[in-house]
Amino acid sequence: MAVLDYLQFVLAPQMVTGLALGVAVVLVALGLTIIFGLLDVINMSHGEFYALGAFVALALGSIGLPFWLLLILVPLALLPIGYMVERGLIQRVFHGGDRHVTTLLLTFGLGLVIEDVLKLAFGPNPHRPETPISGGVELLGVFVPNYRLFLIIAGAVVIAAVAAVVYRTRLGAMVRAAAYDRHMAASLGVPVKQVYAGAFAFGVALAGLAGVLLAPIYSVFPTMGRDFILLAFTVVIVGGMGSIAGAVVAGLFLTQVQAIASLYISPVWTDPIVFGIMVVMLMVRPQGLFGRLGHA
Amino acid sequence: MREPAPTETPAPARDPLTTAMRASHVLAGVLVVGALAFAAFGAAVGDTFYLRLATEALIFAGLALAVDILLGYTGLLSLGQALYFGLGAYVSALTLMAVPSFWAAFGAALLAGTVVGLVGGVIANRVRGVYFALITFGMAQVVGKVVYNTRALGASDGLIGVPVVDIGFGPWSFSSASPAGLFLFVLGYVMVLYAVAAYILDTPLGRLLIAMRANEGRVAFLGYRPVTARLIAYVIAAVVASLSGALYPMLRGFVSPELLFFTTSGNAVITVITGGAGTLVGALYGSLLLTVIKSYVGSWTEHHLIVIGLLFMAVVIFLPRGLIGLVRPKIERMLSRERKP
Repeated sequence: MAVLDYLQFVLAPQMVTGLALGVAVVLVALGLTIIFGLLDVINMSHGEFYALGAFVALALGSIGLPFWLLLILVPLALLPIGYMVERGLIQRVFHGGDRHVTTLLLTFGLGLVIEDVLKLAFGPNPHRPETPISGGVELLGVFVPNYRLFLIIAGAVVIAAVAAVVYRTRLGAMVRAAAYDRHMAASLGVPVKQVYAGAFAFGVALAGLAGVLLAPIYSVFPTMGRDFILLAFTVVIVGGMGSIAGAVVAGLFLTQVQAIASLYISPVWTDPIVFGIMVVMLMVRPQGLFGRLGHA
Repeated sequence: MREPAPTETPAPARDPLTTAMRASHVLAGVLVVGALAFAAFGAAVGDTFYLRLATEALIFAGLALAVDILLGYTGLLSLGQALYFGLGAYVSALTLMAVPSFWAAFGAALLAGTVVGLVGGVIANRVRGVYFALITFGMAQVVGKVVYNTRALGASDGLIGVPVVDIGFGPWSFSSASPAGLFLFVLGYVMVLYAVAAYILDTPLGRLLIAMRANEGRVAFLGYRPVTARLIAYVIAAVVASLSGALYPMLRGFVSPELLFFTTSGNAVITVITGGAGTLVGALYGSLLLTVIKSYVGSWTEHHLIVIGLLFMAVVIFLPRGLIGLVRPKIERMLSRERKP
């Protein structure tokens, strides 16, 4: 049957590849959307934190640390950096006139600096870390590389854990309360300042984790965050700025659109399609598919 | 009727916004004088490199001016103004390759900037604030990627081989290959863009834009249509960017898709913020300053973005009115003192 062959050898592998990318995009987009939902800050340096995570993994990997340890160490290393960025930089302009614009500009400048520092430290050329798990398995007749399978499962676990923390724990309740009404939350004893900085650091750590996970699939280079962050922004806008469910749904949907569309048209045209979806979404429903963190 | 004492009737204070704009004009005049001296010196020693570098700085100053019209007056941050700059550059290059005439390229860029600006404005003005920044960003990305992949537009290589043209005004004419001639021309051109923008923003329409930045809801209650005013501002900014971009192929002889990308838009935003948003002249000084930093720092390291990024962050945190904000209030005080007897 030609149709089944097509499904098995063309469509399904493409969808699996898209799913692996989708899970990674969701990880990056989750950080962006939590930061926006809670702090009202568009973190333009998010892509550079993703690149930073990949480079820290590269550096630690080259001194012999195993990949599994890096999955924990790199996000932990980025946590204090994110915390300090929020307290030291973003809080300085947070209470000024136009918060959206000034914080966006500030993080944009920070991204430029991080990118150039990475270039200075590691050179502009791409690096390719070894795949920690080689080989592949056949699932229902579809060949799936083992590492992509691991990426999908690990990403799904992290996403589920984030959702569980935000919606099922006391800490998550504090985050949602602070996002809904920071003054009321503060008067009820929520340490809003720490929650803000902690959420920012957490988002940055998620971006770093995505960097570690994706490094063996895509190359590691200083501007690697740029193209990736465009996709993550698109996901956050389509899903709804500040919505966790939106990031997951839109992230998986848009990467599938990209993966399937690239079967029929040249892959270079999938970017305009995805950005086109974003522009149309901003025109018809700027708040996105789902409601904002703390409001729904 | 009691006669008021003379000391109680000071000269009617000049509108502070007009005074601020006049202070910008003073700074623009200083810039022109400095640029003329630079051109005379450059022509005397037969320099080509620095004159062309300065010409490029002025062209990108035009793009920054467009960003300032939006950001400084309507308060809308455009992260995709390179869309119109690249549009002007491509339209100008295509026109020059078909008809090697400056005025044909100028007219085509003016027309393209107006039409595309109207379309883009209708799309972008549906949203506000942070969504406006993202939608302008998205539109520029879509168009940039399309151009990058279109073979007819030279794809990733861009269009090369734009012919040298003679730029003529009645009896006078000079070749775009002459560095000093083109520099002086671009200087005059960008100053005209500045003057037109400054004039328009000092009319009641400009005041309306400033009022909208403060509180758009009240503007609507006063009987104005904010949507129309914002669309006009958007189209003006698009045309200014497009007309600046039209000069680029005359200087460099080629256009490339990079002109449409976020790097170009982002540089314009950095320029405006560093120079001083809402001052117009800040865009011009900012562009010159960044070019100087790039070529100076670039002479000993290629990592000039660290310096520019840190300077930019410092300005965002400590100088909300940019570097011009350090100087202009002094000039404003001098200007208002002059009026007192």
